[in-house]
Amino acid sequence: MNRLDMSRTFKTEAVVLRTIRYGEADRILHLYTREHGRLGAIAKGVRKPRSRFGGRLEPFFRLALVLHRSRGDLHTVTSAETIEGYPRLRASGTGIAAAADACGGVLRLLDGVDEPNQPAYNLLCRYLELVDADPAGPATTGAGMVAFRLKLALAAGFAPELSGCARCGATDHMTAFSGAAGGVVCPTCEAGSFPFSAEAHTFMVQALGRPMADLLPGDTAAVRQAGRAIGETLEHHAHVRLPRPEGRLAA
Amino acid sequence: MSEGPAPLSRLTAELSQLPGIGRRTAQRLAFHILRSDESDARSLAEAIVEVKEKVGLCEVCFNLAEGPRCRICEDPSREVSLICVVEEPADVIPIERTHEYRGLYHVLGGALSPIDGIDAEDLRIAELRRRVEGGGILEVILATNPTTTGEATASHIADLIREQTQVTRLAAGLPVGADLEHADEVTLGRAMAGRSNV
Repeated sequence: MNRLDMSRTFKTEAVVLRTIRYGEADRILHLYTREHGRLGAIAKGVRKPRSRFGGRLEPFFRLALVLHRSRGDLHTVTSAETIEGYPRLRASGTGIAAAADACGGVLRLLDGVDEPNQPAYNLLCRYLELVDADPAGPATTGAGMVAFRLKLALAAGFAPELSGCARCGATDHMTAFSGAAGGVVCPTCEAGSFPFSAEAHTFMVQALGRPMADLLPGDTAAVRQAGRAIGETLEHHAHVRLPRPEGRLAA
Repeated sequence: MSEGPAPLSRLTAELSQLPGIGRRTAQRLAFHILRSDESDARSLAEAIVEVKEKVGLCEVCFNLAEGPRCRICEDPSREVSLICVVEEPADVIPIERTHEYRGLYHVLGGALSPIDGIDAEDLRIAELRRRVEGGGILEVILATNPTTTGEATASHIADLIREQTQVTRLAAGLPVGADLEHADEVTLGRAMAGRSNV
């Protein structure tokens, strides 16, 4: 291999967020990498039964990849080794739905950001680990999914303001949440907001402060309000609309 | 720069809409058609029109069909108590090539994919359930792809119809003729889990 080829080949660690069939036997991969942020790659011949990649290049796999840098948007996968396959997650409908929701959030919120975001990468890996450890456990409940989104918003720089009124800075009597203002608001500033309970506020503060593994359950109404608060904040400030898994937003 | 006569440009533009066909390949194909006999070009054009006019979906299994029902559903020699569930009509062809299966099919029209917003309502799962509830089905073979979305779809369907009939899944493992040392851990793990008596 000459020097030019060496410089165009690089190693990275990545989670497969989504795959799309392409051509006769290829697959396009949406990756979130530890070193480079969001990347697109093509895996040639991966859908053939004798592909050397086997079943590794599937959504939610955490992989050590060697990519060949291309002139276009898509790099070419030249080698793939499994770091984590998350087999229990993959065998559960609930686990797959939660992992898809998390990967979808990363895909939309960090799309077009070609800089690494290690906190976001570590958060995604940790969440997948928790789902894999117990696909019917706290991580896959509405509370777990909303807590993941909140932490992801924080890692992406869009965490809602929870310590005081996002408009005037007042610190007492926060009764509503405004996505446009980007946080809780006081009664004087509550135009365009929705009612926000003390339980929802507590849930969000605890979700931000605690590790995913120590997440406390919130009541259904509080989790729904927290989910709406994060969704509206991201819509206004990140211009991203995440699907609202309303049916799953039970604590 | 001129791109030649307008009809040639139009043909190139139309061909470049096809999947996997870029502008240069479309141009090469257009020149090939231009150079070929008029009868060959007309035959190609007629085949394209005919496939759009005559081929639809079978009202029973949603496989490709020339009439209301596909050839497999019309064939009296098929075992009507067996249904093989596949994602796409193209998946029927390799199973038929095996000559190992003599039952009927059910084509879902895709696989569950929460990240792409494809839910159970977007697939023909309700129609499959109705076929099973209609009675006389002894076994449903889930032959969705061994991918994350295919496995999720198979698991969802199995949960829905397990009470009414026997549900089986295609075996997964090593391809015939492959070396064990080159197998990936996922495939090898599935092969180990699904090992059989000899």
